[in-house]
Amino acid sequence: MRDVLIIGGGIAGVSLADHLARAGVDVVLLERGELNREASGTNAGSMHLQIAIHQFIGGMDAPGEAERLQEETRLAAEAAELWKELDDELGLDFHVTGGLMVAETEEQLQLLRDKQPLEAAAGLETHVLEAAEVRSFAPYLSERVIGATYCPAEGHVNPLIAVERIARRSGAEIVTHAEVTAIEPGFRVVTTAGVFDAQRVVNAAGAWAPAFQTLPMKAMGLHVNVTEPRARLLEPMIQHIGRRLTLKQAYNGTFIIGGGWPSREAPGRWATTWESAAGNAAVAVDVVPALRDVRLLRTWSGVIAWTDDVSPILGESEVPGLYTIVVGSSGYTLSPLFARMLAEQIVSGTPLPLEYSPERRTPA
Amino acid sequence: MEAYDLLIVGGGPAGLAAAAEGAAAGLAVGLVDERVTLGGQIYKQPGFEVRDHRALGAEHLRGRALIEAASSARMMTRTLALAIEGPAVVLATEGEPARTVIARRLLLAAGAHDRPVAFPGWTLPGVLTAGGAQTLVKTQRVLPGKRLLFAGSGPLALAFPAQLHGYGATIAAVLEAGPPPRAGDVARMAAAARGNASLLRDAVRYRAQLLRARIPLRYRRIVVRAEGEGRVESVTHAAVDADWRVIAGTEETVAVDTLCLGYGFVPSVELPRLAGCAFGFDEARGGPVVEVDEWMRTSVDGVLAAGDGTGVEGSHVAVDEGRLAALGAALDLGAIASADDAPIRARLTRKRAFRAALERMHRVGPGIFELATADTIVCRCESVTRAAIEAAGTSDIHVMKAFTRAGMGLCQGRNCQRQVAALIGTTEYATPRLPARPVALGVIAREPDHDLGRFQ
Repeated sequence: MRDVLIIGGGIAGVSLADHLARAGVDVVLLERGELNREASGTNAGSMHLQIAIHQFIGGMDAPGEAERLQEETRLAAEAAELWKELDDELGLDFHVTGGLMVAETEEQLQLLRDKQPLEAAAGLETHVLEAAEVRSFAPYLSERVIGATYCPAEGHVNPLIAVERIARRSGAEIVTHAEVTAIEPGFRVVTTAGVFDAQRVVNAAGAWAPAFQTLPMKAMGLHVNVTEPRARLLEPMIQHIGRRLTLKQAYNGTFIIGGGWPSREAPGRWATTWESAAGNAAVAVDVVPALRDVRLLRTWSGVIAWTDDVSPILGESEVPGLYTIVVGSSGYTLSPLFARMLAEQIVSGTPLPLEYSPERRTPA
Repeated sequence: MEAYDLLIVGGGPAGLAAAAEGAAAGLAVGLVDERVTLGGQIYKQPGFEVRDHRALGAEHLRGRALIEAASSARMMTRTLALAIEGPAVVLATEGEPARTVIARRLLLAAGAHDRPVAFPGWTLPGVLTAGGAQTLVKTQRVLPGKRLLFAGSGPLALAFPAQLHGYGATIAAVLEAGPPPRAGDVARMAAAARGNASLLRDAVRYRAQLLRARIPLRYRRIVVRAEGEGRVESVTHAAVDADWRVIAGTEETVAVDTLCLGYGFVPSVELPRLAGCAFGFDEARGGPVVEVDEWMRTSVDGVLAAGDGTGVEGSHVAVDEGRLAALGAALDLGAIASADDAPIRARLTRKRAFRAALERMHRVGPGIFELATADTIVCRCESVTRAAIEAAGTSDIHVMKAFTRAGMGLCQGRNCQRQVAALIGTTEYATPRLPARPVALGVIAREPDHDLGRFQ
């Protein structure tokens, strides 16, 4: 009988296993395939900290929205600090590059101006750059860009190596190719690799978490593109306040381009579509014209867990001993932090925000 | 929207024969090829103007005849096929934005390429594939070097050096990894050669040409390393057993400036893999081979495959497979009520028997995948060594790719994927990815023509 059994070998599950194992908890992590094969290994590794378009639900004037956005920003800044510590200890190719969020219309620029004070209040340094300022700061941006916010703390890690290194450091027992087929009371967890008994079970199955619990979330596939390597052009990451774009030049010179373009569900995986490749390329060359002659090498699909109210699902469910950690949007940035919070809850009883409860009601 | 009854990818023997047959059956046929000229690798057309085609020999004329027979199809050279999504196929012609066309039937006939083999020194300038050397000679009339060593296996292993010698190259030696032909093999080939007289005649002619020129032709020897400062200066070769594994103490070193390698061919599989076609595995036909039925239909509705891409069997087989594919498409689409396919099938049976007899002598041994040493770069785009691949400690090709970046470079894995797979004990390739060829973002950029709604 183990203390804790974690389902899911992505960044959330592995980070949690790391915190628990190092606190002396007897923990086992089960992964249905290999570690890091889904969202954690297929996202672009960006540490976006600024308030982004997908975080707005009802507009900044809606009741409670400003507070929610401010709290999310505070957590993002704290999460980035934690990644920095992880990088110091494990070497995760974390580069603090700064990040730009660009606007092409007056309406988009106004949104940038409006969000900046919320970020300042949350302790995240951002600057609004307008017209000539943005041109001199980032000469590679097209004439279409009329303004931007710049956040010096943003950066990116290499998502291909982080989970593996955290897992290795944790010393936790990790069983791969163990797909959970049933969670019986007790708990008795039945898998394709045998039965495991545990006092507590944590559902860290990301997009597949609803297989084990009713949760206010859905999953969707996200298209990502990578180009051939080129000489250094971009230092900061770039994202867009009004169109689907995240863009950065990785440490090896390749450009990684995403931003919320959908992929389609195919048997056993999410498959990229030509429409998303072409649409994503269109936004990228609109914003950085020099990308026009850079060759696309490969596309792939990540998957994103999307909670109905954009807040994470974190804590104990109505079944005592059954916990959930599903971070949802910006999950890669935030997961190590939420894993630490959940570990503190499990080990020391530190309370978690009620609005993250798996039992919360969410607006339809 | 641009639409075709039959869209063919690949302007080699299979694609050209299919285009001719399809057009004759009344289909609206389009054919795309990424190269500047038609003919594929085997009938690659010269980059210079030819005043007298007869001067270039019988093989050249055979290629010309295939191209001319297909001339009523719409030919699109310098055109990449980038993506396949149901009946939609994304094409990009050089200098134009990418476009989506509709193919009621899509024939994938992208052929094969030289098997890449990783050994110490294989990335040195002066090491090139037989196909690369042949392209230099055919299209530019340029010899790849002054003093050449030719190493390889298979029926064409003798054809290339004979041809190069004919053009004035000094060939230090020709190394065949397979065994010398024995009486039994010759008898078997002769038995299978009914209707294949020209193939057998060619093989004999090439061998005789080399003997006449006193070029040493050595069997059961393989290249183990190439060395030199900045380019090839010497090549070491050794004897191998039936599995192509090196026999200790048999190494010899020869001074050359160029090494041409022709260890057989591997099917170009990126398009059928992207389309989602079912594959089998047959080492004798190049490794991964698309599964097709008697009309060359793959497991994916509307997608056909023919030629070396469905298993390397040479241009004669490819031509007939192309014809069958086009006839099958015409029957499926109702353009013709019946097809006179019996003679084609009879010919295919004979040619396949002959090829099978040849393949028995030239089957690739597993030793070919074991030549890299710890510090040999296996994935040359991303500079990944054999040691790095082994240190990753996984037999899962996807995990390997993520850990080492092997296969993530400009060649999109074409050069290394089989070698990497062999090193970790699998024949599985990583998930196929769009686009099928590297393509500039400006060429493909296009806003969707409908609203995707809010991100979320």
